Amino acid sequence: MAMKKRSTERMWIKVLSKAEIEEIHKKSLDVLERTGIEVGTDRGLKALRKAGAKVNPKTKRVKIPKKMVMRCLKTVPKKFTLAARNPEKDCPLVRGGRPYSRNGGGADYTLDLETGRFRPMMLADVRSYFKLMDGLDGIDFIAPVFGHDMPSVGRDIVMLREAFAHTDKHIHLRAFSGRTLETMFKMAEIVVGGKEALKKRPVVSLLEAPISPLKFLDVIVDALWLCGEYGIPLDVCVMPSSGSTGPVTMAGNVLLFNTEFLAGVVISQLAHPGAPLQYAPRPMIMDLRTGFSLAGSIEAGMMAVAGAQMAHYYDIPVSLHGPWTDSMSHDGQSTFERTYLTLLAALAGANALVGAGMIQESLVISHEQLVIDDEIHRTVLRALEGFEVNEERFGLNAIDRVGPGGNFLADEHTLKFLRGERYFPHLLYRNSREAWEASGSKDFEERAKERAKSILKEHQPNRLPEDIGKALDALVSSALRDLANKP
Amino acid sequence: MSNVLEEIQKDLYSGKLDGVKKGVKKALQEGLPAQEVLAKGLLAGMDKVGKDFKAGDLFIPEVLMCAKAMHAGLDILKPLLVGLGTALLGKIVIGTVAGDLHDIGKNLVRMMLEGAGFEIIDLGVSVSPEKFVEAVKANGAKLMGMSALLTTTMPSMKLTIEGLKKAGIRENVKILVGGAPVTASFAESIGADAYAPDAASAVDVARELIM
Repeated sequence: MAMKKRSTERMWIKVLSKAEIEEIHKKSLDVLERTGIEVGTDRGLKALRKAGAKVNPKTKRVKIPKKMVMRCLKTVPKKFTLAARNPEKDCPLVRGGRPYSRNGGGADYTLDLETGRFRPMMLADVRSYFKLMDGLDGIDFIAPVFGHDMPSVGRDIVMLREAFAHTDKHIHLRAFSGRTLETMFKMAEIVVGGKEALKKRPVVSLLEAPISPLKFLDVIVDALWLCGEYGIPLDVCVMPSSGSTGPVTMAGNVLLFNTEFLAGVVISQLAHPGAPLQYAPRPMIMDLRTGFSLAGSIEAGMMAVAGAQMAHYYDIPVSLHGPWTDSMSHDGQSTFERTYLTLLAALAGANALVGAGMIQESLVISHEQLVIDDEIHRTVLRALEGFEVNEERFGLNAIDRVGPGGNFLADEHTLKFLRGERYFPHLLYRNSREAWEASGSKDFEERAKERAKSILKEHQPNRLPEDIGKALDALVSSALRDLANKP
Repeated sequence: MSNVLEEIQKDLYSGKLDGVKKGVKKALQEGLPAQEVLAKGLLAGMDKVGKDFKAGDLFIPEVLMCAKAMHAGLDILKPLLVGLGTALLGKIVIGTVAGDLHDIGKNLVRMMLEGAGFEIIDLGVSVSPEKFVEAVKANGAKLMGMSALLTTTMPSMKLTIEGLKKAGIRENVKILVGGAPVTASFAESIGADAYAPDAASAVDVARELIM
């Protein structure tokens, strides 16, 4: 018997008090007014000056008045849906709703599924990954991965063509230029049936980031504007590395990324009020012994919870890392790091959990890790559901029937509720040592490998209709030709 | 070892800028040659800093404080060293490659190299192959470092090396590459002279290359 859906807000964990949240918000406004941001494009500077910001065209420094920030915050949508080619796989991002997961984007190295060897990804691997992600129920939408044998210019377009072919889930993008971004939006229009259709049902979304601290170059300004124009949800990814591109203190680092997020809101909403944005902090610390910016750390976990609290304060959807690790493989360290990061983020009320499959920060993806992360996500989803406490579930009559010294195994209450109460994991070993040895003494990572292989063998993605495929191919060819002829 | 040189080393290790300046002035007043104050006071002090940093006892921000103190002392010695030819380790041109705007790694390497006594010509971010070539020529640099964070910009490293070949100066300069997606085998494949996985080893590698 299935349980009722409830808001996750009842479970939200906190690292900041209400007063601290308000203080961070106030101080962010102070930073924007006092220090401001640097904006790289003349168009951007013009737009901000026109709206009333203080602009120094020589230094490209922009100081944003508090009133402007507050005005822009009012128009940001409180929720939006990442639509999928198959509407059953839509991901509605709404306060208190269950989180939706995706793989880590941008990886172009892999651990070979047969040999475990670290090597560059190729197109064949990209296809294999898209297929696996399409086949895993715990991966809700897909982010790009790239092959070294894909064209250097236009690889984002080629990636999207492959993604549309191998999955009917929502596709999150990485763009390498404004030109290719616009081509990708046109590809999405072909899939859903036009510009207005895409606005209603955005089957693609994007992530872009300022350079911390406080630098908004043309890449992000253009992305904020273009996404606003097409109605494409944009993750404003703010990722200072605490100790280097952000203050070493967690309060300072959270203040900085909150400030950068608000600046992104201003740039976006001035041009396109109502453009859907997601608050996407990627808190990191720099290991000050080595200079490595770290994916995993308990400090990052704490800052992620703070980020979620700020997002809830603004009533804007929030995307956080679930899985992430500094480990070189899908080993114990990786499982440990991503489990606590995912739990912290999910319990803080994240709407999107990113990073499935990713290891060695953002460089590598492995099939085994994807399968493990699928398991972690579905486990965490079950945790967020909690359990129902009511007359039926109490089972007073069952307790009375069974009585002292009896057992519940064959009782009707057990039969009624056994499937609805529990989560059934795919990867956890839960039997005897004898049975374990008899079946080959396989450890966790090996079982993940087997599951990956089995899904790859059996899963059949929902194919693109042929006419859409042809139209996409035509657009991709002409776009690639264009890029080659007029770089 | 004279007392004053030991004091300089101690103050340098503690990042005490004023102490180092005072010590350097005192050493010169006592008649010690500038070259000796540099080698046995400042550089010897940084060596100790480097050792303890490698051992994990000092952190990067502390190393940078020590480097600041060292440079404060060095500034006093510089005019006296000019005539003798600089005892600094050498010139290195660095930058993040074309299309890449990320520079924290490159900046960290720059700061560590400066601390170790190199003279840095920092070209900044998104540096074209032509700009790298020009800078190496103009400065007579014996070392060049390239950094990338994005895999999509790594091909620029190869283009830059080819640019140096075309300009006929590939043999005059040693090339060191690094950055999160860069690997030793990539470095080899593009004909770079060396690869370093982090800022600290970049200093060691640069030292080896300059010899």
